[in-house]
Amino acid sequence: ASAPAQSKRKEKEPFEIDFVSPLSPALTEMLCTPATSNAAISLPKTQWKSKTRNLLPDDKHFNSRQLLRLFLKPKARMGSRRYGLG
Amino acid sequence: AQICNAFSDAQKSAAGHRKLLVELRKIQEACCYEPTWLGNPSRQEFNEDDFNVEIVRCVIRLMGVKRSEAVGDRIVRFLGSFLRHANEKDAALITESEIEDTQSLSETASTRLTSHILTILLQFLASKEKTVRYRATQLIAHIINSLDSIDDEYFHLLKMGLLKRVRDKEPMVRVQAVLGLGRLAGNDDNGDHENADSDDDDANGLLEKLLEVLQNDPSADVRRSLLLNLPLTPGTLPYLLERARDLDPATRRALYSRLLPALGDFRHLSLSMREKLLRWGLRDRDGNVRKATARLFHDSWFEDCAGRQLAGEDYATEESVAPSIDGVLELLERIDVLNSGGEDGIASEAMEKFWGGRPDYHDSISLQDPFWHHLSPESVFLARSFNDYCRQQPTGKLETLIEEKMPEVTKFAFFLQRYTNSLVECIRRNHSKYEGDEEEDTVEQEFIVEQLLHIAKTLDYSDEVGRRKMFVLLRETLAIPQLPDEIAKLSVEVLRDVCGVESAGERDFCGVVLEAVAEVHDAIAVDESMANNEDESFHSAHSEFSDSTPIKAKVSRSAEEDEAKAIREIMINMKCLHMAQCMLQNIEGDLQQNVHLVSMLNNLVVPAVRSHEAPIREQGLLCLGLCCLLDKTLADENLTLFVHCFTKGHDALQVTAIHILADTLTTHPSLISSATADAALRKSVLKIFAKGMKADHTPNVQAAVTIALCKLMLTSVIQDEDLLKQTVICYFDPATKDNAGVRQTLSYFLPVYCHSRRENMERMASVAGGVLHLIVDLSEELEEGEEMVGVNTVVNMLVDWTDARKLVVQDEAAISWDEVGKKEVKAISGDIHLDLAGSLLERVISPGCSKEDKKVLIAMLGKLYIATNSKKEKLQSTDELVVEAIGHGVAQDAPSRNALKKLRTALSKALGEVGKVKPISED
Repeated sequence: ASAPAQSKRKEKEPFEIDFVSPLSPALTEMLCTPATSNAAISLPKTQWKSKTRNLLPDDKHFNSRQLLRLFLKPKARMGSRRYGLG
Repeated sequence: AQICNAFSDAQKSAAGHRKLLVELRKIQEACCYEPTWLGNPSRQEFNEDDFNVEIVRCVIRLMGVKRSEAVGDRIVRFLGSFLRHANEKDAALITESEIEDTQSLSETASTRLTSHILTILLQFLASKEKTVRYRATQLIAHIINSLDSIDDEYFHLLKMGLLKRVRDKEPMVRVQAVLGLGRLAGNDDNGDHENADSDDDDANGLLEKLLEVLQNDPSADVRRSLLLNLPLTPGTLPYLLERARDLDPATRRALYSRLLPALGDFRHLSLSMREKLLRWGLRDRDGNVRKATARLFHDSWFEDCAGRQLAGEDYATEESVAPSIDGVLELLERIDVLNSGGEDGIASEAMEKFWGGRPDYHDSISLQDPFWHHLSPESVFLARSFNDYCRQQPTGKLETLIEEKMPEVTKFAFFLQRYTNSLVECIRRNHSKYEGDEEEDTVEQEFIVEQLLHIAKTLDYSDEVGRRKMFVLLRETLAIPQLPDEIAKLSVEVLRDVCGVESAGERDFCGVVLEAVAEVHDAIAVDESMANNEDESFHSAHSEFSDSTPIKAKVSRSAEEDEAKAIREIMINMKCLHMAQCMLQNIEGDLQQNVHLVSMLNNLVVPAVRSHEAPIREQGLLCLGLCCLLDKTLADENLTLFVHCFTKGHDALQVTAIHILADTLTTHPSLISSATADAALRKSVLKIFAKGMKADHTPNVQAAVTIALCKLMLTSVIQDEDLLKQTVICYFDPATKDNAGVRQTLSYFLPVYCHSRRENMERMASVAGGVLHLIVDLSEELEEGEEMVGVNTVVNMLVDWTDARKLVVQDEAAISWDEVGKKEVKAISGDIHLDLAGSLLERVISPGCSKEDKKVLIAMLGKLYIATNSKKEKLQSTDELVVEAIGHGVAQDAPSRNALKKLRTALSKALGEVGKVKPISED
């Protein structure tokens, strides 16, 4: 599936702006049509505020090391010597 | 026409821009300053207006260019450069000729052109097409950023126009709007005080609005652009620094790699902010953020410190490396190493990055005798961090380096002794002072001794002379009653290493520590009795002369005395128990085989557990728990006690109790998981876990219980379906939303648990249906403002957790797992999903199943993986269930019907491959 996509990309001509010829009707229309309402081109108001201020929650840095050690003897690894898991 | 050509050429590459804009300027000059160009008749027919119109024509053509096209950006840049160039040239012309005439900025051909372009662009800002809005906003922002000044009149218009675009629907437009406004806000800030009243309010309003966007915009690109383009002022700084915890890693990295290095001297930041920035950055989950923080620390922050040192030294001696070590010391001081250098503090990690990022400093550090004679908290930490770093490196190269630099053990022990002695003397002096006298601060000295002990933990004790010296020193140190707890703890740890790992070493170690415990106990007791005697004699002598009511006085005094005595006793006991705890944390041998331990248990720990004083009882409980890890019988006898402490205790005691229980059960799993285990005990243990998971009102307890339960489930000590179900519910329950400890533990635990063992996955599959039912209930009961992940997400997770292809561990059912070939993967037994399909279908068919439940269950059915190697009978019976379900009309909407059809097709396909094609009648 990737091969045809690649050839397609190659076929595409590098884009250039034509500064010389007169304005195309399409562009004129694009330029001259204002938005029907402000709301149509604006962010919905519900998204103006973020509850979390887009911040991460406090990271507890939970990892496998915490699962592998004893609470009372943080330095002794479970599975070392007699602390076998059976 | 020449203008068009210039633009046409400019879009192709940025390389010729310089030349082209000079040409364009010539054309402009020709049009606008005709008198100077009279000699060129061909250009006379054009005037300034023509030129401006022509430029705008080109600008308009830019408006329809999609964002993805690079040519558009090139033209934007070209225009920006041209306007700057033209404005500068014009300004230069003015300074030559008209500077005396006007004081304010005068109008020139270029400012008129700029205004003309901006007027046109402002109209396009409200276009319906996002591309037009994008290009217009982009060009405006770019022009604003290219020019030194903006006409007042336009300033206001632009601000209003861009402020609307800050709320644009398209993030790409908002990004450009904030780029422009960031600059405007910066201008305001520099103080345009001409129309002070209205404008200043406006300016503050603008900045405020942008800060609000910085916090609230849903697009990370917008937030990041703002972060890098807002003016840096004391007012904006807190908002900018807050982005260190932004949801988006690239934004966090931008803060560390771009904003902070550009901020200037980091020493302007508060101590606590420096610490937070380092901690957040170095412990970020994203590797690139960590890297950027490390670089910030060992490059720019370090340069801030080293630079000053160098400046002070005279730049002539720059090549000598000695001042740079002073720079490191200052850096350590500036990150408050006294506080950040403690356990779990960030200073160790920061210095690890320093040594890693600045190998040029490895050789320059000198650890000769003079260094050790004058230790400061910073220099001792420098040595400790360098020592740690060198010893942690995988190649032995740096280890040799540190071995060469460090003094031998005997010498090191002398240094340790010297600093310990001076600390202890200081503490004693403080003790003998009277109330109100100022005490000497011992924090720095304690810190130095602690760091030395940390280094001592890494030393090689194979040299017998050094080992002996250290052994004797530590034995004496531990017997000092005034020794601070942290130092006692570290000394015990070093002593453990010094004694050697074999069981004889352990017995030696216990003997020495317990001897010290006895000495500490006696020493305080002696102190006390001496103090009492002095007190007594003084008072009795005194009373003979003046006391009119001797009996009454004696009674009240003895009450006071009793209280003081009780407090002293508590302190003695706590101190001894703490030492015992430190010792117990470092041994592994059998308790009953060690007479020292047996006597400690009976004479110290057991009485403590029975004490009426709560702190002693709790510390005693901890020691008892540690003893239980060394003796299964003892553990068996005391499990009920720990359960009781959890049920009846306060928060902190509950946490201790659950920790003890979890450790005891992981160490002796057979206590509850063997066939002979006491059923009632087992039940009561499971019950407190169930209860603890629901402790929403005490988040610490809930988090501790969650971690404990996860451990016990991962180690298969607890294999209870109800508890598993409860953990899954707890994970999604809105009630645990604010308990990051619980949530983060479970998000790690659940996939690991399921994907690591087939039995676990099967267990998850067997609770999945029930979980979904409860989740549907929860989502229906949501109160206003409460949020919960969608039921669909839960379904996807459950599917993932029960997908046999995700099993990591090889087991009998998945022997042919092979990472190389996909064919191998197929051979994995998919029975888990197949069985799950069966049980879900039965639920769907059962009469009690609600409409919402059905929908969710069926959605899940459509996502299950049906392997082709399952047993024919199983496939068939599941297939029959699907047919039955369809017959019951359980699917009442299109997605449900499709899901069932999909499952049916998968089943038929699998059956087909088994060899017996069963005709499918489509209904």
